[in-house]
Amino acid sequence: MREKFKGGLAALAFTLVASTCVLGTSVAGASGQVPLNLDNEQGMLWPCSFNPFLPTSSPYSVGLTYETLDFIDALSNAQVTPWLASAYAWSNGNKTLTFTIRSGVKWTDGKPFTAADVAYTFNLLKKYPALDSNAVWSVLSSVTQSGTNKVVFDFSKSAVPYFYYVADQVPIVPEHIWSKISNPVTNPVTAPVGTGGYIMSKCTPQNIQWTANPKYWQPGLAKVKTVNMPAFLTNNTANEYLATGQSAYGAQFIPNIQSYFVAKKAGNGYWFPPVANVSLFPNLTVPGLNDVAVRQAISYGINRASVSKIGEYGYEPPASQTGIVAPTFSSWSSSTAMKAAGSSYDPAKAKSLLEKDGYKLDSKGVFAKNGKELAFTVITNGGYSDWIAAMQVLGAQLTKIGIKVTVDPIASSNFYSDVYAGKFQLAYNVESGGPSPFYEFRQWLYSKNSAPIGQAAASNWERYNSPAVDALLNQYGATTNAATQHSIMDQLQTIMVQQAPIIPVLEEVDWFQYNNKEYSGFPTSKNPYAQPALYNEPDWGVVLLHLKPLS
Amino acid sequence: MRLLYKLGDALRRSFDFLRRDKKAMAGAIILFILLVISAFPNWFTPDNPSAEIYSPGAGVSWAHPLGTTSFGQDVFSQLMAGTRQSVMIALIVGFISTILSVGIGITAAYSGGIVDDVLSMVTDVVLVIPTFPLIIVITAYLKSASFWLMVLVLVITGWSYGARQLRVQALSLRNRDYLLAAKARGESSWYVISVELIPPMTSLIVANFLGAALYAVLTAAGLQFVGLGNINTQSWGTMLYWAQNNEALSIGLPLWALAPGVAIAVLGSGLALLNYAFDEIANPALRPVSKRRLKKVGA
Amino acid sequence: MRFLVRRLGFLFVALWAALTVNFFIPRLMPGNPAESMMAKFHGHVNPAAIKALEVAFGINNHQSLMASYFQYINNTLHGNLGLSLSYFPIPVSTVIMRALPWSLGLVGVSTIFGFLIGTALGAIAAWRRGGILDNVLPPTFIVISAFPYFWIGLLCVWFFALTLGWFPILGGYTETATVTWSWGFVGDILWHSVLPAFTILLTSIGGWILTMRNNMITVVAEDYVKMARAKGLKPRRILWQYAGRNALLPNLTGFAMSLGFVISGAILVEYVFNYPGLGFTLLQAVQNEDYPLMQSLFLLITVAVLVAIFISDIATALLDPRTRASS
Repeated sequence: MREKFKGGLAALAFTLVASTCVLGTSVAGASGQVPLNLDNEQGMLWPCSFNPFLPTSSPYSVGLTYETLDFIDALSNAQVTPWLASAYAWSNGNKTLTFTIRSGVKWTDGKPFTAADVAYTFNLLKKYPALDSNAVWSVLSSVTQSGTNKVVFDFSKSAVPYFYYVADQVPIVPEHIWSKISNPVTNPVTAPVGTGGYIMSKCTPQNIQWTANPKYWQPGLAKVKTVNMPAFLTNNTANEYLATGQSAYGAQFIPNIQSYFVAKKAGNGYWFPPVANVSLFPNLTVPGLNDVAVRQAISYGINRASVSKIGEYGYEPPASQTGIVAPTFSSWSSSTAMKAAGSSYDPAKAKSLLEKDGYKLDSKGVFAKNGKELAFTVITNGGYSDWIAAMQVLGAQLTKIGIKVTVDPIASSNFYSDVYAGKFQLAYNVESGGPSPFYEFRQWLYSKNSAPIGQAAASNWERYNSPAVDALLNQYGATTNAATQHSIMDQLQTIMVQQAPIIPVLEEVDWFQYNNKEYSGFPTSKNPYAQPALYNEPDWGVVLLHLKPLS
Repeated sequence: MRLLYKLGDALRRSFDFLRRDKKAMAGAIILFILLVISAFPNWFTPDNPSAEIYSPGAGVSWAHPLGTTSFGQDVFSQLMAGTRQSVMIALIVGFISTILSVGIGITAAYSGGIVDDVLSMVTDVVLVIPTFPLIIVITAYLKSASFWLMVLVLVITGWSYGARQLRVQALSLRNRDYLLAAKARGESSWYVISVELIPPMTSLIVANFLGAALYAVLTAAGLQFVGLGNINTQSWGTMLYWAQNNEALSIGLPLWALAPGVAIAVLGSGLALLNYAFDEIANPALRPVSKRRLKKVGA
Repeated sequence: MRFLVRRLGFLFVALWAALTVNFFIPRLMPGNPAESMMAKFHGHVNPAAIKALEVAFGINNHQSLMASYFQYINNTLHGNLGLSLSYFPIPVSTVIMRALPWSLGLVGVSTIFGFLIGTALGAIAAWRRGGILDNVLPPTFIVISAFPYFWIGLLCVWFFALTLGWFPILGGYTETATVTWSWGFVGDILWHSVLPAFTILLTSIGGWILTMRNNMITVVAEDYVKMARAKGLKPRRILWQYAGRNALLPNLTGFAMSLGFVISGAILVEYVFNYPGLGFTLLQAVQNEDYPLMQSLFLLITVAVLVAIFISDIATALLDPRTRASS
């Protein structure tokens, strides 16, 4: 028995050694061109489902395979580029939107793309609310085809900003295929047919591969013929992938990026454009936090530059209490509000605000009024170590000036449920935002987004309720006039400074690494034609179309 | 009174044996040291274990014998502070589990018939169902297990092995002469069980206690490692969780990930060594053969 | 025959118990699946969509408990395990099928090797009572068995993968390798499996060594062994063909019993190495609050263990007439 054993072990060892010598990976692209490997770690294997309406699978199909009516660039002040729709027009007091549909576009199975497909897609969302993740039907009353190439959208109420969701966020699907699907909500759509520049050619749980669409409606694009996106389970292996030069386009958070990545290869670089605010959301029903002076004091007591440097390696710039992300949305910034805000870090002002409100430092060095100390817990996502680090710096700063703040990192799954249900005193989180500051402001402040404590609210987690602000937001939603829009935003910024319903701390950035000696055409700060992160739909598709292999 | 005498006698013989057995001594010393640390953690923690005031990711130094974490906490202090939770889980789960095992195992063996059939069936079913995945699912639904919840779950899943063992031994003792004599004398069942049946099984019961304690420590550590424990408390398993989530090994902080494991291993070894020693008391054939009487069985 | 029927009966009782526990767990626990769905979609979802998704998932459908229970049993027996939440809308069964071969390979192979090597070593240790093996192995493996499985895995990663660089840090295969049945890819898989397999082997082997040793010690004292020696049979022959075979039998039953523990350990080893098997998928499902996937995995693991125990019971019955007679 022992002899047979030893034989078995020897055979195993031999196989091992032999195979490691023969280790080979064949990854040559379809046309002999080296494929572009993307680095987008999601912490899981790929489901190989490409249903463009479900948030669990749309990141892998919208942008590359499925396209939208227009492309709106958040980094160029919401500039609109016609895409599947060649033109659009508002009418009827901004309650009717008419799109002219582009001609000459074909689906990847050869059939022609028409206005009927657009009308069909939107009515599919009406029929199956589970697919309407952007809630466009909360403001639409009907979508009908008009003539051969126009589609008319009738709104039940003024909602001009919904243009972004209708035109840039709804992927258009082919009627001749989807009308045959019995249950589009649970159909994984494993072989997606779209109008986009890339066709999904092969999907395994470990890797998704796309090849360029030879019949794409934009002539000459795409220039990169094969694209791979391997599945990474941990941040670390994904970062290694970039550091070892195997990927030229990444979406990772990399500590010490200069030495870890940039220095390793000529052409390696990064750009982190700010797009939203990561803020402290105070639970406005909690005693102490329902006091304006306390919230303002918190805002002035945070040294945002220091939080950014120590917690985030300086990658995420300090935010402004006005809520305007700079430099991306600086054109919206109100000078009046900025002046009212004054210096963003002013611990003396923080203390004096509290003292004027009747708070006094007690024996433990904490501000108190009527025996109640200002002591709060801030919850943050336990899965993001950089957020935890940032909060610890912030907590120490506030505790030093007399507002005791302790950090409570919570496991991701619990974190979101706690935030949505309002089970917190302070929460550190980010909203999704949009191509202009209005979207974030509306998510923060619109009372109808919220829900009573204990019930899940999709946004407005602090439970802010102001009819005046609601009115301003609705007013903005009814107009296309830029001057009116700016005036409303100015007023909202002043309210942000005066009432501090949310306390923006840092600016959330797009994580983006590139190598521009292997590929040209990446968006840059001088040419920000699209948001560069791989997890933005449909922007990542737009970027891939612009890339060109060098050498 | 007789019960106490019998128990005392059994324990005395056990300790005599233990004193001579090196394994047992080693185990006992380890456990004693850990008990002291868990009772008085402040004597051993130079710093507040959760204070993030040092430079993150520092290496080994006199101030930080095991370095610091990514958040700037002292690893050594955390290690010492975490001792209490692990030792407590071991002792509490071990104790409650053993009571359950003894109760069910002996009742089944003594009663016989339908009661035995039912209890044995229940024991076997609980024994074969893989408990770790079950515990994972339960704690996942609860979102995270507080200390007592974890104790409850561990006890529910940990008693069956001991019950089975004790039942087998009780069965073999049940029909011995002295027990039959006691029954003939008219002693009540309670008397027979507690005074005549249990004392000879003492060593096996102690072995079971230690086994259950070991099971509790390792399983609790596993649960905390994947984040199902309470990640805000100080324990060795939670240290491992934070270390793993911050990829400690890859960023050059191996001690942060390895030290808590060593601590768990030390506690586990102490329990395992003593467990084995008590197993040897219960089954004399397993005792080490002294070199004088050594006779090679095979050539 | 009666023995077979008894064991089969036990198997069904245990299966029924597992199914029932699995059914009741979500209904006894606090929490709202709709909330976890919202969390999954990170707020990118509107309340009407949530309601519709709940219907798609079969949550909040107002059936009676009994009706739900029977439908659940019916569904499970037909292999309809529902849709995964984190991989929505891929069915749970698909996700499980992807992970199954990895676990079978890893756990199956290391368990079998562990059993074979362990029992051999245990037999030899007992045979040479008082020898080196007998004195060194028990304490060594008692101590090793007290180490958490996953920590040995971490140690291996740190030493063999990170410091020496002989093996990959994690995964079942290199992420970008083309998945084909080439020698290269098979070799890649083998190379990635060495450390996890070694970890499972190391932590489980102690149990088999010790139990085999203990059994052998008892068997060696039996009369028929003395008789065999008196008859002048070669010691090696006595060791393997007489004592070993008889000592093996209780170990076989123990093998099945301990499978549950091995699986538990394997779950954590897979987690440490990100090895894409059932255990890793289970823990990912936990982190993603993917309840349908979690519960189906628990069920599958239970069924696997129960079937393995049943098979080993049959094997024991076939090999050892005493068990057949005594029941």
